[in-house]
Amino acid sequence: MRAEVRRLCAWVFCAFALMLAGCATQTHLLQQQGLPGLPRQVELASTPFHPQERFQCGPATLAMALNAAGIAITPDTLVPQVFVPQREGSLQPEMMAAGRRNGALSMTIPPRLDALLAEVAAGHPVIVLQNLSLPAAPLWHYALVIGYDLDAGDLVLRSGTTERLSLPLSTFEHTWSRSGYWAMVALSPQRLPVTVNQAQAVEALVAYEKAAPPARALAAYEQALQRWPHDLTLQMGRGNAAYRAGDLRGAESAFRRAAEEHPGNAAALNNLATVLAELGEYEQATEAAEKAAALDGQWREAALATLQAIRAARQRAGR
Amino acid sequence: MMKTIKRAFVGTVVAAFTFVGFTQTVQAAMIGTEQVHASNAAQQQDKARIAAALDRPEVMAQLEQLGVQRADAQARVAALTDDEAATLAAKIDSLPAGGDVVGTLVLIFVILLVTDILGLTKVFPFTRSRR
Repeated sequence: MRAEVRRLCAWVFCAFALMLAGCATQTHLLQQQGLPGLPRQVELASTPFHPQERFQCGPATLAMALNAAGIAITPDTLVPQVFVPQREGSLQPEMMAAGRRNGALSMTIPPRLDALLAEVAAGHPVIVLQNLSLPAAPLWHYALVIGYDLDAGDLVLRSGTTERLSLPLSTFEHTWSRSGYWAMVALSPQRLPVTVNQAQAVEALVAYEKAAPPARALAAYEQALQRWPHDLTLQMGRGNAAYRAGDLRGAESAFRRAAEEHPGNAAALNNLATVLAELGEYEQATEAAEKAAALDGQWREAALATLQAIRAARQRAGR
Repeated sequence: MMKTIKRAFVGTVVAAFTFVGFTQTVQAAMIGTEQVHASNAAQQQDKARIAAALDRPEVMAQLEQLGVQRADAQARVAALTDDEAATLAAKIDSLPAGGDVVGTLVLIFVILLVTDILGLTKVFPFTRSRR
């Protein structure tokens, strides 16, 4: 009987140990295969450091990322933008939103170690969410990844009150996996994360346009169009941002291109017509609006309204 | 009961705003990027849009309850995308809040010390894990 109990205990212990141990699979793969095309060692040493106050790793980490993107801000300014007092911490959606609010392009990156390192190698510090403890007693923590060393097997972070924390990649992977490998970048609009796909980028840029000054949104769209030149949303965004920035000629060329590449889309024609009318080119404006109104679909009503507005403006101008 | 009253109030406010929104779209000559994107990506249903409109007042009320100042909460909700607002509305109490809080009991302390040394966790600044 005793022996049985002891054996049972041994089994339970083994199972527990195995459960905990898991494997840092991605780390093993990385260390065996390396990262094709990436340096073995990177450190973005010029990234500023803000030691965190109690519970304030969110604002401190975001402030460091924003500083690195050329945006001057302190953690104190960010506290009322992200911190949730009763939860004694900051939530992921608000970290993203606060990045945009302060002029940076926020995007989550793919939940993989190689993507994380690729961003760092591209010069982009990455905000990561870790659970430093175990799922049963979580210790959620934001930190900024600023470097790695594949030969030493280390990741370099600005973390908490430690300016340069060197953490074994496998330990980091364990702590990071507990957040579902959540990571985001907050970049200046002239830069795009290297690891995001088209759909994610477009989504983030549309959100950015709503929050950012038009000139910055325009810069971001132009940057993205270099990578995905045929995307309708990006082309429309470029036109709308240029229009709001007061650059009518820029808006005209953006909408013209969108209308040429996506002839079935009445929105591009409608906006082109509006811009042309404002430039006083009523002939062309009327033509574009008529084309837009002739297309069936959800923009038909808007196009008809635009056509009417152009005719009225033309009459007032006496042309 | 309170919840029903709150819902009804929110509904009225949303209806009012939605109406304003519609009149604007007819007048505005420019079609926004977001509208194009929404119609382009996944035919956004009216239902989903109304749900998204309901999320924001809900999130704002929740943030205030969790100790955020009213003016701050307002600005924070305004900065959210529809998706982010929906996530917060559904999970504000369960999302991980990065803030370094742990309720460390003695047993947990010992377990964490061991797991720190094994390199599975990194709770204590003084541990150096084996590789």
